[in-house]
Amino acid sequence: MKTKIKISKKSYDIDISEDKDGLIKVKIDDEEFIFSENEAGELIQCDREKIEAGKERIVNFCPVLIEKEIKSPIAGVISEIFVKEGDRINIGQKLLTIIAMKMENELVSENCGRIKKIRIKKDQFINAGDILIILE
Amino acid sequence: MEILSYGKINSTNLKAKELAKKGSKPWTIVLAKEQSSGYGKSKKIWSSPAGGLYFSVILPKSNIEDLQTLTILAAFIIAKVIKENFKLEPLIKLPNDVLLEGKKICGILTENVVGKDVKFSVMGIGLNTNVEKIAPELKNIATSIKMEIGKKVDNEKILKQIIGELKHQLKTISD
Repeated sequence: MKTKIKISKKSYDIDISEDKDGLIKVKIDDEEFIFSENEAGELIQCDREKIEAGKERIVNFCPVLIEKEIKSPIAGVISEIFVKEGDRINIGQKLLTIIAMKMENELVSENCGRIKKIRIKKDQFINAGDILIILE
Repeated sequence: MEILSYGKINSTNLKAKELAKKGSKPWTIVLAKEQSSGYGKSKKIWSSPAGGLYFSVILPKSNIEDLQTLTILAAFIIAKVIKENFKLEPLIKLPNDVLLEGKKICGILTENVVGKDVKFSVMGIGLNTNVEKIAPELKNIATSIKMEIGKKVDNEKILKQIIGELKHQLKTISD
C-alpha cells in the first residue's frame, strides 16, 4: 500500500508491505522499518541489519535480553507447554497455558532468547512468582 | 457495544480471541446461533445446538490479581438474570457453571493472554435458553430454560441484561 502524508509542510512517501515471512515493512521515503506481530497482536520493531546478517531471525529480533527468568504472574496448574529447552523464543510468543479457577491463561513471553531450562512440568501446581523458564 | 452476529461458527471464543489479537475494542461481542466446535475448559466439547445463547465478549483489561474474579462474577450475574426473569432457582457450581434442578444450564470459559500484565481477556458464555432437545448422552446432566419453564425466552434480552450487569460489576471492580 502506497500513500503520502504531510506533516507540517513536509510530504513523506509511505509504502507499507508484508513479506512472505509475515514481516511488515514500512518505508518512509528511503528509510525502511520492519515490524513483526507478536501473539498479543502488538507490532514489535525488528532490526533490519541483524535480520539480514543472520538466518536465525527470531533471536535477532531481540534488542537486549532484559530478564533471564520468566515467572508466573498467577497461581494455577500448568496444562500445556508449547516450548522446549533449546528453543529460541520471541517477544509475544505463546509459552504455556496455566489453568486457574477454570480459566485458561496463555502465558506469552515478554522477552526473547534461547530457553536454557524449563523448570515446570505439565499438571504441576505453581504459585504466582515461581520461576517457570530460564533464558540465556 | 458492537455485536457481531453469526449463524453457525466454529467457536465464539476462537473468533473473539482472533479479533482481540487484531485489536478489537473491549465489549465487542461475538454472537452465534450455533457453534460447530464450542468448547469449555481443557477443550471439552460444549454442545451448542440451535436455540441456545452462545456468545463471547472481549473484556476490558483487568489487573492480573483481579482475573480470578471474572468467571465467578459472570456466574453470579447469569444466575441472577435467570432467577429474576424466570423465577427459577439456579445453583452456581463454582466457579464456572450454572445449574438448574441439578443439571447444567450454562458454562463459562474465560481465556486470558498474560505476560507480566494482562494482554487481553475473552469470556465465552454458553447458555441453554431455547434448546429443545438435549443430546442423549447429556440428558441426565444438562437442561435448558425452555425445557424448565415450557416457553421460549428472548435471547437478545438475556444477552443485553448479562452484558449490562457485567459492565456494571466490572466497573465496580476497576473503581
